Amino acid sequence: MTQAVTQREEHFEELREIAAEVLEIEPEEITDTSLFAEDHEADSLRAIEILARIEKKYKVDIPQSELPKMVNLTAVYEIVKQHANWQD
Amino acid sequence: MLEHADIKRILPHRHPILQVDRVLELDPGNRIVATKAVTGAEPCYVGLPAEAPASAYAYPVSLLVESLGQAGGILWLHTAAQRAEPVTGTLIFGSARDLTLTGHAYPGDVLRHVVHLELVKGDNAFMRGETWVGDTRIATVGEILAVLRQDTTLVPA
Repeated sequence: MTQAVTQREEHFEELREIAAEVLEIEPEEITDTSLFAEDHEADSLRAIEILARIEKKYKVDIPQSELPKMVNLTAVYEIVKQHANWQD
Repeated sequence: MLEHADIKRILPHRHPILQVDRVLELDPGNRIVATKAVTGAEPCYVGLPAEAPASAYAYPVSLLVESLGQAGGILWLHTAAQRAEPVTGTLIFGSARDLTLTGHAYPGDVLRHVVHLELVKGDNAFMRGETWVGDTRIATVGEILAVLRQDTTLVPA
């Protein structure tokens, strides 16, 4: 159980790191639910950059059709979890 | 090898903003080597006074990166056409990251861009590249994003 929680937290932190790098802000500014577009001024180009970096890091293919759903960190995590088959 | 006339059939850019003269090598889906000759007749040098220092003739970084990006655009669009996966929309420069400048180009120099296609995701292409003048690398771009967008989605800001 402890292992599972740790894994989930680790993935969250990695994704937060990726989003912060693309959005050029500090990771701490991105909460689990803050909205990329509304709260962090992300546009469609930043969104596709985040997607591409996630694909590269986790060697996973995420359809572009998932983009509109990736509105915050929690949503991104859930989508990546599904496509990467994470057992967090 | 692709000449200027071929390039104009691939890229929508026109004089004076078409910033690629010739393609020396093209490995579809992977890599392109393309050149652009810088001359004193470039529009960017118009109006420079006779007493302008030599440094004023360094080719503007914005145009250099645009030129590199256009070389990448040729690689992407040519690859798509060859694979019979035609793309539509307006070609747009999305972003450039991790730009390192290690030199400058001046009138008389030939920019030689080497661009690698890293990932194509739908209407978006991620690339990286370098620009050389002779044996000197003058610029490295870690990530270039080029996108195609339908005209209907493009509205004035």
